[in-house]
Amino acid sequence: MVVTRAVPRIETLEQLLKATALAASVISILILVWYLASRPPLSRMTKVMLLFGLGVMPLGVALTGNIAGFEYTLKRQFCGSCHVMLPYTEDAQDPNSKSLASVHSRNHSFGEESCYTCHADYQLFGAMTTKVNGLKHLFYYVTEYANTGPYGEGGKPIHMYKPFQNTMCTRCHSTTAPSWTKVDDHQGMLEDIRKGDAKCLDCHTGEKIHPRAFAHGGNGRAPAAQASAK
Amino acid sequence: MISKLTIRRLVLISTVTTLVSLALMVMGIVFPRPLLLVLAMSLGQLFGTLSLALYLLAIVLDLQGVGEHDPVAPFIGLERGRGEGEGEGEKGA
Repeated sequence: MVVTRAVPRIETLEQLLKATALAASVISILILVWYLASRPPLSRMTKVMLLFGLGVMPLGVALTGNIAGFEYTLKRQFCGSCHVMLPYTEDAQDPNSKSLASVHSRNHSFGEESCYTCHADYQLFGAMTTKVNGLKHLFYYVTEYANTGPYGEGGKPIHMYKPFQNTMCTRCHSTTAPSWTKVDDHQGMLEDIRKGDAKCLDCHTGEKIHPRAFAHGGNGRAPAAQASAK
Repeated sequence: MISKLTIRRLVLISTVTTLVSLALMVMGIVFPRPLLLVLAMSLGQLFGTLSLALYLLAIVLDLQGVGEHDPVAPFIGLERGRGEGEGEGEKGA
């Protein structure tokens, strides 16, 4: 006999926070519905109950919900919830793809957060500027891309706000590992790469990173789908 | 003129606003789409803060004894001394 689990198991911090937020919101809603239904006198007990229902519990929901929300925004699944990002996210999670985005996404250090790991700003307020840029994305999505094709066909080419910095790559590829330095081109450009005069993306170009992207000559779909479409 | 009825209404508005705020925040948690998350973290929390402020205002007004001799008070369950004997000390003072 197969027994299915009715309640999903909590395995991550995000799931724990979400469960806490939902539990707090249920308690709050029960208190508020009780008050609205019975309209008791504003006795000390009622005031304390309402303080929980109107203050303590909603504050708990906001706090845990915010953290869970921010955690979720780091995930590739969140990035792919806007359809114009599907050429990027579908390729990144394609186990057969040889693109740089996909190869990096298969690395456990990147995993589900591969978009954020490579594209977030890492200065003091990096997380904040990244979130502000995310709000800009949402604005442009609603105003310019909402009615584009299933993979964003017909929309303006998507581009980054500023050139991709070498530091995004050199955080992991330290330019000192033997496997990296043994590449002839790396040896010849070592100082230029470290100074930022030569960009990693000069050689590892966009079509090698996100080959399905319209901006890099793709049509949004996987190679197999492209072939069958022809 | 602030009366006991005003206090009662403040609490009622606060309760309804909190329910709206909770609905927005729960939507953001259960369906974490970009637009819903932004709504939960902006409007949801704005409504939540507003409702808490309204409730605290109602409590402050109530503690100050606003509308204590309001003739409507006995009919809306707000008269002093009713319910766990609150306000007795204040009356004595």
